[in-house]
Amino acid sequence: MVVLLIVPMMQNVYYSFFDWDGLGTPVFNGLKNYASLFVDRLIAGSMLNTVLWVVFTLAFPAMGGLLVAVFVAGLRGEGTFKSIFFIPLTISFVATGTIWTYMFSRELGVLNGMFKLLGLPVKLSWLTSVPLNTYSMLIAWTWQQLGTNMVMFLMGLGTIPKDPVEACLIDGANKWQTFVHVKFPMLRPITTVVITMAMVNSFKVFDIIYVMTRGGPYQSSETLAVSMFRETFTLFHMGYGAAISVLLSVIVIVISAAYIRRMSKRDMLYY
Amino acid sequence: MKAGLRKIPVYTILVVLAFLWLLPIVSTLLVSFKDPQDFVSQKFYQMPTRFFLPQNFTKVMTTYRLGAHFVNSLLYAAAGTAVVIVAASMAGFSIVRLRPKFNFLLFLIIYSGTLFPFQMYLIPVYRLFNTLGLYDTRIGMVLIYSAICVPFSLFVYRGFYTTIPREIEEAAKLDGCGPVRSFLSVFIPQSLPPTAVVALFQATWIWNDLLFGMVLSRTQNVRPIMVAVATMSGYGGGNIPWIMTAVIFTSIPTVLLFVFLRRFFIQGMVMSVSG
Repeated sequence: MVVLLIVPMMQNVYYSFFDWDGLGTPVFNGLKNYASLFVDRLIAGSMLNTVLWVVFTLAFPAMGGLLVAVFVAGLRGEGTFKSIFFIPLTISFVATGTIWTYMFSRELGVLNGMFKLLGLPVKLSWLTSVPLNTYSMLIAWTWQQLGTNMVMFLMGLGTIPKDPVEACLIDGANKWQTFVHVKFPMLRPITTVVITMAMVNSFKVFDIIYVMTRGGPYQSSETLAVSMFRETFTLFHMGYGAAISVLLSVIVIVISAAYIRRMSKRDMLYY
Repeated sequence: MKAGLRKIPVYTILVVLAFLWLLPIVSTLLVSFKDPQDFVSQKFYQMPTRFFLPQNFTKVMTTYRLGAHFVNSLLYAAAGTAVVIVAASMAGFSIVRLRPKFNFLLFLIIYSGTLFPFQMYLIPVYRLFNTLGLYDTRIGMVLIYSAICVPFSLFVYRGFYTTIPREIEEAAKLDGCGPVRSFLSVFIPQSLPPTAVVALFQATWIWNDLLFGMVLSRTQNVRPIMVAVATMSGYGGGNIPWIMTAVIFTSIPTVLLFVFLRRFFIQGMVMSVSG
């Protein structure tokens, strides 16, 4: 465990200070890898895409999951709706990416076919035009991720005691006010987890992009995780790839810091 | 009645969403039934002229040899999960019982596998595997998959074991149980929920992995299934009815796991939220 995970992490930081092609001897070049990160236009582009992924993930799979959970809870047919939104969770990112590659296909795809069926004279190149390709992949991502968040929020809604909600309704608050002032604050622990995980996961997205566009065309839809893979295993810039992964990890740690702190505080109680 | 009417907008939204969610699934199934000619000449919603799924399936098995990759991944998922269940349950027990003073390391271990991006140790592991001769071997794949699964599993087991009342353990001790005995006869018999959670989440994860399979293997005898599917589709190309057949074929195991262990999915979520 320690040999396979912890030591490599340290090594990775170490490599990030070297210029190394994976075969020859690594040459120490100090902070040069990190310096080039900031002037590399491709990295800037993939940084921008990464931010887009994060914002979009918070807006759609996370918020959407909450809305669907609130709509579905206690509704007749709750089970059916839950199962439908749950289906994509059971298949892999690769399968999701592959299915949506077909959905988005320009000539034979389902979405362009639907447009034609509805008489709309549009035929989009979903995956090959910029910036539409990133949004297309985000649609596939939302399709896959919404279910998890819905399940989490439903779980949270299930734990809310009935009394305060009823008291609020008796006092004349409408459903919306009850939700904003009573239910939503009570969901806070779940919301924190969902938001943290949504951000962390969207920073780590790799499979879907790799399957659907390989980060292309011309690296236009790359995120940091994909850039790291390309630099390291296609171009064999091992040191540079390591630097990208360190940057990625630092960002992930920073955004999950609040969550980690809360978890470790609670864990300390056991000791 | 009034309440029923007020619900109409909600139902409309949900039905539209449900339709959008089902559309890719239904389209995928439909395409996998079609022969390549039908697929090109028909509209996406038309029924195929003949049922071609068996032929597509044969094609996928012979040309792309998905069967071999399927067996690989089955082995990784089974072996990896088994290793991790043994290792993590024992480690979880010793952490809860012995309360060692290395919190920081413990957290590092747990977060290294759950929060940190995998890219963080990809390069060194790739290098280590090359030096040790583990690159492109089945043992190597099982090893890395189990290592990556330990953190989450440890987290689940530890969280679960802390909920076992200490009195039971004390009672066992009074009856003359040493730590090994009390682990075997007190903790293990109660471990069904965390074990099911670990099995569900980790077997699914191993089955679905693309990154490590791509980086650490090269040949057909070792490459896991998802890498095979991903390379099959390529970038914008490939024969779609075959690819969709492959997608369905390779999704069967995880779908079945979820169907049978669904109850534990919710439980796993609860555990990973509340630790």
